[in-house]
Amino acid sequence: MAQASTSRAWLAGLARAERGRLGLAVACGLVAGVSTMAQLALLAWLVTALLVEGRELTSLVTPFAVLAGLMGLRALAQWGQEAAGLAASLRLRRRARGELLDQLARLGPVGVTGHHSASLAHRVVDQVEALDGYVARYLPQRYLALLLPLVILAVVAWLDWLAALFLLLAAPLIPLFMALVGMGAERLNEEQFNAVARLSRHFIDRVRGIATLQLFGRTAAATDEVHAAADDYRRRTLRPLRLAFLSSAVLEFFAAVSIAVVAIYVGFGLLGYISYGPADQLTLFTGLLALLLAPEFFQPLRSLAQHYHDRASALGAAEGMVALLEETPRRSGRPSAPPRAARARVELEAITVMHPERGRVLGPLDLTLAPGEMLAISGPSGAGKSTLLQLLAGFLDPDSGERRTAQGMAVAWMDQRPLLVHGSLADNLRLAAPEADERAMRRALDAAGLGQLVAGLPDGIETPVGERGAGLSGGQAQRLALARIFLSEASLVLLDEPTESLDADSEGHVLEALTALAAEGRSLVIASHRAAPLAYADRHLALRDGRLEEVADG
Amino acid sequence: MAERRGVIATLAPWLRLLGRRRGRLAAGAGLMSLALAAALGLLALSGWFITATGLAGLALAAGAALTLDVYVPGGGIRGFAVTRTVARYLERLYNHDTILRLLADLRGRMFAVLAGLDGRSLAQRRASDWLNRLTADIDTLDSLFLRLLAPAAVALLAILALAGFLALWSPAAGLSVASVLGVAWSWLTWGQARLGLAASRRRIAELERLRGRLIEQLQGLAELETYGSLAARRRHLETIEARLYDDQRRLGHFAALGSALAGLAVGLGWLSALWLGALAWQAGALSGPLMVMMPLAVMALSEALAALPMAFTQFGATLAAAERLNALDDARRDAAPQTGTSLPDGALALSLEEVSLRYPGALSPVFDGFSLALAPGERVAVHGVSGSGKSSLAALATGQLVPDAGAVGLGGLPLADIAAQDLADRVACLTQHTELFDDSLAANLRLAAPEAETSRLWAVLATVELADWAQALPRGLDTRVGEGGRRLSGGQARRLALARLLLRGPGLVILDEPFAGLDSALAARIAERLDAWLAGRSVLYLVHERTTQACLPGVCRWQALANGAEPAFAPPPGIFQDGAKH
Repeated sequence: MAQASTSRAWLAGLARAERGRLGLAVACGLVAGVSTMAQLALLAWLVTALLVEGRELTSLVTPFAVLAGLMGLRALAQWGQEAAGLAASLRLRRRARGELLDQLARLGPVGVTGHHSASLAHRVVDQVEALDGYVARYLPQRYLALLLPLVILAVVAWLDWLAALFLLLAAPLIPLFMALVGMGAERLNEEQFNAVARLSRHFIDRVRGIATLQLFGRTAAATDEVHAAADDYRRRTLRPLRLAFLSSAVLEFFAAVSIAVVAIYVGFGLLGYISYGPADQLTLFTGLLALLLAPEFFQPLRSLAQHYHDRASALGAAEGMVALLEETPRRSGRPSAPPRAARARVELEAITVMHPERGRVLGPLDLTLAPGEMLAISGPSGAGKSTLLQLLAGFLDPDSGERRTAQGMAVAWMDQRPLLVHGSLADNLRLAAPEADERAMRRALDAAGLGQLVAGLPDGIETPVGERGAGLSGGQAQRLALARIFLSEASLVLLDEPTESLDADSEGHVLEALTALAAEGRSLVIASHRAAPLAYADRHLALRDGRLEEVADG
Repeated sequence: MAERRGVIATLAPWLRLLGRRRGRLAAGAGLMSLALAAALGLLALSGWFITATGLAGLALAAGAALTLDVYVPGGGIRGFAVTRTVARYLERLYNHDTILRLLADLRGRMFAVLAGLDGRSLAQRRASDWLNRLTADIDTLDSLFLRLLAPAAVALLAILALAGFLALWSPAAGLSVASVLGVAWSWLTWGQARLGLAASRRRIAELERLRGRLIEQLQGLAELETYGSLAARRRHLETIEARLYDDQRRLGHFAALGSALAGLAVGLGWLSALWLGALAWQAGALSGPLMVMMPLAVMALSEALAALPMAFTQFGATLAAAERLNALDDARRDAAPQTGTSLPDGALALSLEEVSLRYPGALSPVFDGFSLALAPGERVAVHGVSGSGKSSLAALATGQLVPDAGAVGLGGLPLADIAAQDLADRVACLTQHTELFDDSLAANLRLAAPEAETSRLWAVLATVELADWAQALPRGLDTRVGEGGRRLSGGQARRLALARLLLRGPGLVILDEPFAGLDSALAARIAERLDAWLAGRSVLYLVHERTTQACLPGVCRWQALANGAEPAFAPPPGIFQDGAKH
């Protein structure tokens, strides 16, 4: 599994950058663990001082105060462990998200078209968040689960090596059962995750079609069905769970049995029933301390088992992220040479564009675009109209040939589904010109045919636009995007089916406004399969088999 | 909002839902308590046993003659060890079962709520991220019992029971443990919840905002890149992330504070039990082994308190989920009358008089004084570009939307007076978006007629020319269509939806772009057969453009869906040449 190992390496690389904070978390965890041991030792000593040596309680105030101090220290260290782990996790997640966002910017509009935008957003937002538990808790605990039991074992061995041996008897079994727990957790994670996802899909499927169910008068039956599906899922899940829970029960069992064995060994040893080994040297202090340390020996391992599913979900998330990071952009990002012809704005020379599956989609073709020119490109869907626009915009590098553009040329882009950001109408306009004042915005709205509507709104251009353009009809959204182009200074305007969702009247007006843009000296390229845009253009080229053919007007 | 409604009022409907399974919940909490009691017993009895044997060993060495029963405590220790493991295992299994039962209850309840929403509320909620949040909210509430209620209840019970047990020997120790851990318990539940309330309530919304902005950015990457706004957008995303992480840091620190305090409280609890126990021992009120047992039993309580801070710091998220789901409940329309006037038989008239309709947040209304009359048996085609309100018109005629003003009538009756089932039976609508369910072909067809025999299903499939295709499938009518009908082509899905409609016997048929995605020869053949089925029914066609190629059989009349609110589109002349005039 090359994929799994690269994602593991990527995660490890991210974690290495946080080793300072993670180290601090481990150090705090060690301090907390050692102060716990010191508390227990002091407790055992106090019990001996009281019960065996018969010391007065009043003479023991200092040890009691030290105990309270140790508790404070432990609380502090515990807080420090969690805070340091959290800081590491927050920084690591921020860096991982930054890497993903950089990659998305490198891939550009062409690179992201292969993905569903919601699933990309899921990767960049939710999968990055899924790293939290792994970094903040699992990584420090992995060291603590190794170090603390060793320290405890050493102390118990020093107290009574036979008691340590009883703890150690369970120890070789621990890696085995940890693996079982891990496998259980992973299987649980995977199976549970899949089953839950399947059930959620069923639920979402029915919710999405609820209007249809209402139309057919079948909502009551569907409600029963939703309940039955969830109940059926329950019955099928419980069987694998029985096994999965068993593996962690085994770890618990060994922890409990070890405590019981140590207790009985120490008890019988203290009574003098055991003459073997160090048992006859047991005192109440050593015996009690060995007993108190036994649960602490297993505690770090139990915590690790609890965090094990954090690891599984982080590794799963990392795979998706690494797959995205490994995609290669289809453009170099190098600036292009200036055009050779004096009056040209863009030149394409002997350009070809290949598609990994479909072969050659464009070319070889040549194209020169002059300022003030309005060029229409027609062709059946799939002929490569959008690819040509993407090439002109620089979203895509040609596989051969050369694209040359004027120095400092700004581009404006508009397609069928314009971008509408959450915010006011003004916010949406300012995307194109951050410094634009209200008058300029109004003029642009007028030009796009939205002026009258916006003037009639109580909040005018400050009227909020909902999430993803909610509240705007398709035509209104299109006009807003158009207003943005009027507002921008772009000298090359690329439009992909700009009048698709407009009626014939509106379409004519939009095209007239675009003609005015061309008259300002901007160069326009319109890709469309509709008749009207083609009629308005100065020049009409048809794309056929990846090549451009001049179409005579008329 | 919880401030307005109060925490209890917000959670009340969900607590009532939990209450329906109170037997199971009590048993689950009981198993949790048993596991905790066994852990407590194991440590306490072991401590007692070792001290007793240690003291007895010293006495024996000093030459005293005494006997100590080692078998009963030894058996007790083994018993506790086994009980703890078994109880924990059963508890996890049993409670998981309960959680899944609750999930079924919750999903069923929410589905019933959603089924009662009208078209306007549903239209806002089609997006898949909304649906994902809905399921996430349900899952959050699902864990209400296992994460919050049960651990808190078991911890409180354990504190009180242990304090009572200690008070049997040393009332002072019992009282001190009860007060130290009681205060700690209140802080770890109520205090932590208050501390994290605002931040944890914001957390989901901030995450969603980040996701929403990112989707926006990805969908508009071409425009943002060409306008050079990517860097500004990136800063915007980073601001949201920073806000999100400030909240997370705050919540993490609160939770860490809670865990540290839980550890400290248990520590102080056992320290006070040791001090007071020692006093009682010196006063001769209890034996040495019992004195040792007391702090050890308190120590074991840390297991019960450890999970509380983390869970309760996030309480705001649970509350926010409950609020969102409650809001859905509130949006439920007044239930359509179950009994009402019956519609006349045969073709139905449809009338819309001066209807106005505006979606919340929309710049302009969909309809502003729109009227339409359809006589019984008439076939009218309404045309308009996308967004001009064709789907809204269909929703008004089927009662899924209620107009803001004006009247909708069916068969001469006001739509609001017609019984819901009658309306569903007598009006058939082919919606613009083909909605198929992730089920078999047969099940998708039987949605229209649950009792339909197989031969009828084959007959309607033949009408839309899908019968041969379906017959060739290895599983025939049992073939699953996939999520949203994804395993079918667009044209097949459309035809299946049309076939589904043919199983009904409506008096009014609404067909929204009935032949979208079909080639014209096929559309013409299906239209011919459809014509026969449409005889004796009123028909409302909804199409994009007025054209003769639409194959709509027997159109009597065309009507344009002029969007009244959309302004006439005329840029002032010369605006680009001389902007100063404006």
